[in-house]
Amino acid sequence: MSGSEKPEAAWEAMAINAADNVAVALCDIEGDVNVRIGDAVHVMRVAAPIAMGHKFATRDLAAGEPVLKYGECIGITTAPVAAGEHVHVHNLESRRARREAG
Amino acid sequence: MQEGATGPGPAGGKTGGARRDDASFLGFPRPKGRAGIRNALLVLGINGLVAPAARRIAQALPGSRLVATPYGRGQLGPDKEVHFAQLIGLGAHPNIGATLVVGADRPTAEMIAEAIVARSGKQVAIVTLDDVHEDALALTERGIRLGGTLARAISAERRQPVAVSDLFIGIECGHSDATSGLVSNPLAGAVADRLVDRGGTAVVGETLEWLGAEHVLAGRAAEASIGEAIVEAVARREKAVAALGVDLLYNNPGYENVRGGLSSIEEKSLGAIAKAGSRPIRSVLPFAAQPAGPGLHVMDGPGFSPESLTGFAAAGAQLMLFTTGPGNSFCSLVAPTIKISAHPDATRALAEQVDFDASAVLLARATVDDAADQLFDRLVDVASGTATWGEIFAEGEECLFRSGGSF
Repeated sequence: MSGSEKPEAAWEAMAINAADNVAVALCDIEGDVNVRIGDAVHVMRVAAPIAMGHKFATRDLAAGEPVLKYGECIGITTAPVAAGEHVHVHNLESRRARREAG
Repeated sequence: MQEGATGPGPAGGKTGGARRDDASFLGFPRPKGRAGIRNALLVLGINGLVAPAARRIAQALPGSRLVATPYGRGQLGPDKEVHFAQLIGLGAHPNIGATLVVGADRPTAEMIAEAIVARSGKQVAIVTLDDVHEDALALTERGIRLGGTLARAISAERRQPVAVSDLFIGIECGHSDATSGLVSNPLAGAVADRLVDRGGTAVVGETLEWLGAEHVLAGRAAEASIGEAIVEAVARREKAVAALGVDLLYNNPGYENVRGGLSSIEEKSLGAIAKAGSRPIRSVLPFAAQPAGPGLHVMDGPGFSPESLTGFAAAGAQLMLFTTGPGNSFCSLVAPTIKISAHPDATRALAEQVDFDASAVLLARATVDDAADQLFDRLVDVASGTATWGEIFAEGEECLFRSGGSF
């Protein structure tokens, strides 16, 4: 999907659950973005461009901290993650899956 | 006009209709059990030997629905039980006004018919090859006459106000993408919450989609034993798959999922089970089994959506919510199926497939809660008779699940 057509968009990312510590990009985003968390919309700066469907931290996370989406733990950070940084397989580890070595 | 959860459609707005309270819908009360939201004649072929005759009978009776199993001999144990459970459940379905059982031998047909009557109290007629000296053409003729008589009888029934607490919905997803876990599944879940809060019933299935999030589902069980049953159901299937040499937790999510932004199996499964909403889980239903009471239930069943939908239908679900990303045309035959997508390209391209356009949430023009209110209204409208695209274009089928091979 192209992230281009959003003339009236009021926010470009959202936390699915207000308790989450990551938000999901609703389109391809970069720079300052409006993030809907619960009933409020916050302006946050993402560190680098983030593709639609990908996540970024909405607050600073320490290494070893649970990442919360849908209000539930989706894995553990493997490194410190600053607010606005991409959260994905490079810094999040499942507590369930077995990944391919290397 | 295409975007927006307020999108076009006969039931899209708050104007015009007589029904504007969400406490009731217009349905067909039945002698037993839930009210119907449709009132069709079912031609039920219970043995593969008579499937062609059942098809001819249904073709001769416009408006009837056809379910004709291709199987019927050499089935034993749990496979036979689940096969009969599906045939009986579909025959007794609330949306079916009357059922014509088309069989090979008389005793099996009578057994199925009696079970349908015991569960639904509805009119059932039987035709079998035993009655017509194995003459499939005579079977067809007799079936058309008997089926026509049933169709005429049920045509006298009228819709009446029924409390929404009588609704039982199945929630399914098929051909998912990033918008499913982000918007459509949480939206379906929010509608399930609304229905459960009004005393209604909802079910989700596809046991292996819980893998990675079964602890979350288990934590929402109404009782500890139900939570244990959820974890066991997943473990049982995971083990069965492992016995075939497949490790479901290895490299899952796969490359495409990872590219789309999914980072872990937990995240993927949470996106899938978001369609269950957030209310306590009242039971783990065996495949095709009826829930004992209202509220949210999970069904231990296969992941292929046609089979999963048939499990919900056989359990008595009158209506399905079906979330998809790029699109998926498959519907239940007996239960109107509301197709939901939040993908703007899909809702534009598939205007005659997607019943509910949730792309407004993705485009940040509506919240999930706004869209859920509108989808709940749509659900009540469809329950009252508004047609889904799948009904209009006859995209419905039932797909019978088998748990073993024939002997």
